[in-house]
Amino acid sequence: MEPLIAVEDLVKQYRKAKQPAVKGISFQVQPGEFFALLGPNGAGKTTTISILTTTLAKTSGQVRIAGYDLDTEAKRVRQNIGIIFQNPSLDLTLSAEENIRLHACLYGLYPYRPWYRLMPAEYRRRVSELAEMVGLGDHLFKRLKTFSGGMKRKLEIIRSLMHRPRVLFLDEPTSGLDAVSRHSLWQYLREIRDREEMTVFLTTHYLDEAETADTVCIVNHGRIEMMGTPVELKHRLLDRSMVVDAADRAALKRELSALGLSFVEESEGFQVRYSEETPQSILCRLQTRLTKLKVVDATLEEAYIRLVTGGTAGGDGV
Amino acid sequence: MTAVSSEVNAAVAIAARDVVKSLKSVGSLVFSLAFPLIFVGLMGETIAQNMGAGLGYNYLQFMLIGMAVNTLFQVTIAGIMNLVEDRQNDFTQEMYVAPISRYAIIFGKILGSSCTSLFQLAGLILIALVLGISLGGWSFVRLLVLSPLICLSGGALGTLLVGVVHDQKTAQIGTPMVVFPQMFLSGAMIPVNHSSGVLAWLAHIMPMTYVVDLTRAVFYWGEPQYHNVVLYSPALDVAVVIAFFCVFSVLGVWLFVRAETNR
Repeated sequence: MEPLIAVEDLVKQYRKAKQPAVKGISFQVQPGEFFALLGPNGAGKTTTISILTTTLAKTSGQVRIAGYDLDTEAKRVRQNIGIIFQNPSLDLTLSAEENIRLHACLYGLYPYRPWYRLMPAEYRRRVSELAEMVGLGDHLFKRLKTFSGGMKRKLEIIRSLMHRPRVLFLDEPTSGLDAVSRHSLWQYLREIRDREEMTVFLTTHYLDEAETADTVCIVNHGRIEMMGTPVELKHRLLDRSMVVDAADRAALKRELSALGLSFVEESEGFQVRYSEETPQSILCRLQTRLTKLKVVDATLEEAYIRLVTGGTAGGDGV
Repeated sequence: MTAVSSEVNAAVAIAARDVVKSLKSVGSLVFSLAFPLIFVGLMGETIAQNMGAGLGYNYLQFMLIGMAVNTLFQVTIAGIMNLVEDRQNDFTQEMYVAPISRYAIIFGKILGSSCTSLFQLAGLILIALVLGISLGGWSFVRLLVLSPLICLSGGALGTLLVGVVHDQKTAQIGTPMVVFPQMFLSGAMIPVNHSSGVLAWLAHIMPMTYVVDLTRAVFYWGEPQYHNVVLYSPALDVAVVIAFFCVFSVLGVWLFVRAETNR
């Protein structure tokens, strides 16, 4: 299958910078994939997404999106992508619907009409369908000055989906939102992704948002540090562990030592680390009666911190 | 939609946004009437009463024509310069990622700000009627026919400015430096027939000088005072206006696109 996004040896050198912001990165995104680009501030995430969305010229490298070359077919690329920017790009003096109408006309979807009622029925149907989906049905004709941050983001989702893009770029879409708004926004995004069978390209600082990604790509200092599924990254970067305890602690300790397992005694029991084995295979070999068993599931955030700090902070798997 | 109709549709939508925005800000629309009221009502009347007697033409009408051109020209420039504000508010991103050419964006902005400038021209006419200044009948209709050209020339200068000015702070300082010298040196409000030295040279290099002169040539065509108020031949005015329109708009769009993508 042809990848929806194909990036090869992408380089970006800003005019006034000493070092390139992006130093020859390559990756592919398949149709329908949820791809998360992670990295600390200044890693090159926004530069990469700006190049992919045609708002910034690259220095060198090849980029193809939806089968179109970024250099020679930029308009075709733009027709096939939707973007939710890091900072909302809405006109606050217009109503929500007026912002959507402007977008639809910029994309050549419908002929411009000065009033909503004069717009084609298909436009009105699509707007109300998407507005109902994100819960903005009653706010379409209100001025944006009255909208909360979460509502503005929802409006941007409607707008970005109007032209049915094949790939949706989300550049830190929840930055500045409270926990409730973040949660509901992701609920809508998941629903939309399933319904519209869309490829999603995400950059975020909230690593829990990337836990459900198909592929996570971690960039640092303009280079790709690691790429794979969240589970692969966690396995590669972190020791897996389980916590066991017994009424007869001394016996359990002797047994763990005899089995040659790597463990640390803590107040809540023994933290046993493993890499090749599974919790089940370890349990099968233990004879001491256990009073506690906890399999620790490492988070992507722990793996990420381990990677970007070079293993100096966090990431101990507990 | 075909590629061309899609571009035109986008430009119309961009223009409509500017019109809707200006209609929604009633306060600033009313406030904008203060400008012609001060210049025509106070400054114009004072000059007419104290120095206008020996000119050989109705100074207030002369000034009204200049103010009409100035309004169309400067409001169109200000409208294009709103792109700098849009850039600061991150709204330009929405336009830049749309599958349309940068020329459609600029053309839409020129069209929108031209329409907005017509609202202000209507305000100027209203004030002229209140002050009892003669509009000149069909001569003024001829001026209105010329108004798209006036707006386009202002738009071209605005495009050049937006190509070189990238932040709002610079725009706030730079725009008056372009606007005010043209207002005073182009002959829009004060006759410049007898200017000499640096002032005459500056008047010659001001784009608005030729737009004002062409408008007066059209307005006073066939009138006895024609030679007192018109500086150059209309053919020269047209040639200069077309030349700077082409240079400013092409160079402006090129600089604008370059500044956005080649950082």
